[in-house]
Amino acid sequence: MRKDRRGFLAGLMAASLTPSLSWADAGNPSFLAAAREPDGTYALFGLSECGQDIFRIALPARGHAAAAHPRFPEAVAFARRPGTYALVIDCTNGRLIQKLDAPNGRHFYGHGVFLNDDTLCCTENDIESGEGRISLWSRRENYRRIGDFPSGGIGPHDLKLLPDGETLVVANGGIRTHPDHGRDKLNLDTMRPNLSYLKTDGSQIDRKELEPALHQCSIRHLDVREDGLVAFAMQWQGIEGEAVPLLGLHALGNPAVFPEFPIADQNRLSGYVGSVSFAGNGSSVAITSPRGGVLLTHGLTHGTKIWNRSDICGVAPSGEGFVSTDGLGGIFSVVDGKPRKLALANRAWDNHLVAI
Amino acid sequence: MKYLVLAAFIPSIATAGIDAVIDEHILPAHEAFTVATEELAIAAQADCRAEAVAPAYHEAFDAWMGVSHISFGPIETLGLAPAIAYWPDTKNSTGRHLDRLISVEDPIVEDVETFANVSVAARGFFALERLLYEEKYTGYEKGSYVCHLVQAISQDLATLAATLDAEWQDNFAQTLRTGGASGNETYFTEREALQAVFTSVVTGLEFNKDKRLGRPLGTFERPRPTRAEARRSGRSLRNVTLSLIALRDLNDALTDGAATQTQAAFDRAITHAETLDDPVFAGVADPSSRLKVEILQQAVTATGEAVRIEVGPMLGVSAGFNALDGD
Repeated sequence: MRKDRRGFLAGLMAASLTPSLSWADAGNPSFLAAAREPDGTYALFGLSECGQDIFRIALPARGHAAAAHPRFPEAVAFARRPGTYALVIDCTNGRLIQKLDAPNGRHFYGHGVFLNDDTLCCTENDIESGEGRISLWSRRENYRRIGDFPSGGIGPHDLKLLPDGETLVVANGGIRTHPDHGRDKLNLDTMRPNLSYLKTDGSQIDRKELEPALHQCSIRHLDVREDGLVAFAMQWQGIEGEAVPLLGLHALGNPAVFPEFPIADQNRLSGYVGSVSFAGNGSSVAITSPRGGVLLTHGLTHGTKIWNRSDICGVAPSGEGFVSTDGLGGIFSVVDGKPRKLALANRAWDNHLVAI
Repeated sequence: MKYLVLAAFIPSIATAGIDAVIDEHILPAHEAFTVATEELAIAAQADCRAEAVAPAYHEAFDAWMGVSHISFGPIETLGLAPAIAYWPDTKNSTGRHLDRLISVEDPIVEDVETFANVSVAARGFFALERLLYEEKYTGYEKGSYVCHLVQAISQDLATLAATLDAEWQDNFAQTLRTGGASGNETYFTEREALQAVFTSVVTGLEFNKDKRLGRPLGTFERPRPTRAEARRSGRSLRNVTLSLIALRDLNDALTDGAATQTQAAFDRAITHAETLDDPVFAGVADPSSRLKVEILQQAVTATGEAVRIEVGPMLGVSAGFNALDGD
């Protein structure tokens, strides 16, 4: 009873305190990125279009991805997999708005997305069954957990919202993990990753599985273009050195297509893509491989271009092209496959760069 | 005072490290590789038969072990590594591409420039090894198609080596040396140049551990001796030994000999390799001899750990923050 009342009051406070603020009050950052500082601590940064620091908020541990609220200056920073918490942060002052705790028997997988102004969706693991779940959290109720439903597969990682504003696309990576075994992959022989399209009532619109020969291509990261085209990036779990697709494109109702790259470029990806993004103008898609130290852009008009950059991983749309971040602190603009240095920070940028 | 000493000391070790890496390791190793592959091409031209080419093949392969761990620079930007050494070859691509060339007697072998368009699987040391050592080619004669193929692959290797050597001398040595200078679009700081070399040491050790040793080891239940690298020419262990020696030299140049724990770890691993009497790791299938290969693998693993723990902090770099995260 008491708990409910407290929750209600907290909800009222959250609702009454923040709605008037916008991202302008947080300095109008264009991107969010987590980083490791030279002293070994971690922080979340707001970055300008030119890669300059707008704000810095200390994090208690290494983050993975962040979700930016579409309107209000609030960011949700997810702990590194298999984390049991996510932090909702007020980006105007760095204060913690709420800590999201995964319920007993669950952990987060590191990605989340706002469905609308009120609802945050996160990927989760139901530890005992191994079933992937999507949890829902209500901002209006101070980020109370309001429900969950199946993700349509095992090991959901990234998820994105389609332009219709109500359909989620989920990368079910297919890999079963259990926190007792850290990040050990428990089902590589039988894994079946898929791309699931879900409504928030839990109904499934479509599910795309890869052909059996590619069942060890773990679908992990996603981007969605304005017209609903989904780019999905994969990580190969099979025999090393095989040239398997690591980028797929899919539009609902159509077959998936897998762009082919010159074999030398394919090899440079090392079977592993860490992030994927459409260009700001939608004309190309970029994938990064921190293991191969490359950013590859695949254009509808200008073919494949590859750029060598050690430990590169984060990539997000910007202008005509992309902005990319790396573990050496670099922030680069990439247009037509050509990189230009924007900034070099004395910190290691983490896996993902999130456009606001 | 203490700070002054530190400030003066750290940059000097860093620049000394890069210069030593270039002048004492990278450039001489590439020159040796160029010379050895030229001699291979000359030997094959003079007498293409297997027994005549084999000594030069081994010399050239030895020289390749002196440079193969240098994974950054022109070999990366030009993507030449697979053309020199296409391994692991999980789908027998080398065998299939050679069979095709030979069955149709593809005239592409007649010109070194057109030969560069052949699938990378049918180029380099592992294609040459098949022709020199596989039973089905035994006794090929002067003037035969296989003979021309041996000559073409040898010449192609010499061209690849000369290309790398020239790129290092004319361009990349300067790029690596001037990390952080204005106009250097590859290494924006000196630390990035050090990071590239450091990463090369780490990934070179991993390649020995996971591929050269890990592939034949397989699992205890399912050892895979036929997956050993260059087993046809009896070089599997030799490649590990030479690669470890080259990595130790690179690491010594990088750290000016100051990483004593890492040196000791390298020495242990190399001593293990030199005393192991199992040239193609055939022993992995037998529990007692398997153990010796496993001990070598553990020694290589320990060396990698030493590099991370000792050399990384010494240079102010670490192996890939994102590359190692795996998510």
